[in-house]
Amino acid sequence: MNVEITDLTRRFGRNQAVAGVSLQAGPGVFGLLGPNGAGKTTLLRMMATVIPPTTGRLRLLDRDPATYGPRREVRRRLGYLPQNLGYYPGFTVAEFVEYFALLKEMPAARVPAAVATAVERVDLGGKAKAKLRTLSGGMLRRVGIAQAIVNEPELLLLDEPTAGLDPEQRVHFRALLRELGQRATVVVSTHLVEDVGAACTQVALMDQGRVVFDGTPGELTARGTEQGTGDAPLERGYTAVLAAARA
Amino acid sequence: MSGLRNDAPDDVDLGRVWISVAAQVWRRQPGWLERTAGRLLRSPGLARALLTTPSLLLPWLLTSVVVLAAGAAATTDIGQPLVALLAPAVAAAAIAYSYGPGIDPAWELACSMAVSDRMVLLVRALAVFAVNAVLGLAASAVSAVSVSGPANGTAAAVTFGWLIPMTAVCAFALAVATVARSANAGAAAGVAAWLIIVLSGRVASGHFASAVTDTVLFLPYLAIGAGCVTVALCATRIPRGTL
Repeated sequence: MNVEITDLTRRFGRNQAVAGVSLQAGPGVFGLLGPNGAGKTTLLRMMATVIPPTTGRLRLLDRDPATYGPRREVRRRLGYLPQNLGYYPGFTVAEFVEYFALLKEMPAARVPAAVATAVERVDLGGKAKAKLRTLSGGMLRRVGIAQAIVNEPELLLLDEPTAGLDPEQRVHFRALLRELGQRATVVVSTHLVEDVGAACTQVALMDQGRVVFDGTPGELTARGTEQGTGDAPLERGYTAVLAAARA
Repeated sequence: MSGLRNDAPDDVDLGRVWISVAAQVWRRQPGWLERTAGRLLRSPGLARALLTTPSLLLPWLLTSVVVLAAGAAATTDIGQPLVALLAPAVAAAAIAYSYGPGIDPAWELACSMAVSDRMVLLVRALAVFAVNAVLGLAASAVSAVSVSGPANGTAAAVTFGWLIPMTAVCAFALAVATVARSANAGAAAGVAAWLIIVLSGRVASGHFASAVTDTVLFLPYLAIGAGCVTVALCATRIPRGTL
């Protein structure tokens, strides 16, 4: 298993953002669904080694990221797209992707080809030499995805990756997700239920810091056949599970 | 890539060809300073972060200006050693705070990178002090040649009597910040250590300025600085066999 989480918690002052989450994920696309404030982003930040858990056990790529050496090794094999992508406006697309390839300690000789491949995979070849300040929100999101995949990560964490993408780019991105999920563990946090249905092999639904459902998209759909509300079958499963968890 | 017409021979992979071409066309040529730093640090990523991160450039300049301005002010004849006594603490806090969230827009991403943000900070601080020490030594040499009277040796006094204790305090702050994973803890430890040194000098010699004027302390300052750098390097080293 590339991701093994046991009773993980994270507290910010009095706020319990994640309250005892246990999950496992191997290669494939893992969807993380939930309403605002459910704890998805906090869970993803812990998995990205940005913040440590308050309690619980976290193992990534068969390593314990709590200690420096294994954490550095995990980070070399990690791709992470934060919810709010900070960027340097004066960098070009290629420079930005190259910068993070170097910070991931990729061998310098491999970096130029890896940058070109990542930029082309997100369909930004025509903008490779453009400054980031000149790009639209959707393009910046794709730059963020490019830096996340530049090192061919074994564990890819994407927080709201399709926010700001137009429908054509979302379709393209889902195909990329499926391709990446062939050999890597891809964890996608999203509000968009249709993204999960189209690309994910496993899905977890979080509410108030806890996982209230863990299964396949088909199993989530099945939970909505009787009492869920929504336009699509998966949406009805989503609302039915949330209603049951809050009852 | 979808726009490429596939009228090449069957054994030619146009996609691979284009990636090779794009890699050369988009390739950035690092300057000599970045290449040299990369070789010295044995990390092209660390060298790139040290020299070209936009959010590091302004703090770098500001820190250098603070260091040199405080040093110059400390040598003016104001009758009190206050500036010289406070300057190391100011520099320690400035370095601990000059790289972090709110200053670096890509901080969240940087925190998930293999090149540790604290290592960037540590190396950057050492670089700032090295640059300022070189400038101080150059100024010492110039003033020794061209200035006579009481001003002669002032630059040397700044370099040896002020930069050295500051280096020790800041190295201590960075070591604590590295081990404690907190810039706040590092800044507090740096300031506290400096206060203890100043007060100890006051008790031992009867005047506050001894912390920056007593040449006997130069060697302990250097030892503290070297020890703290060693601690920080040990705290961030990779255990053998884990890579």
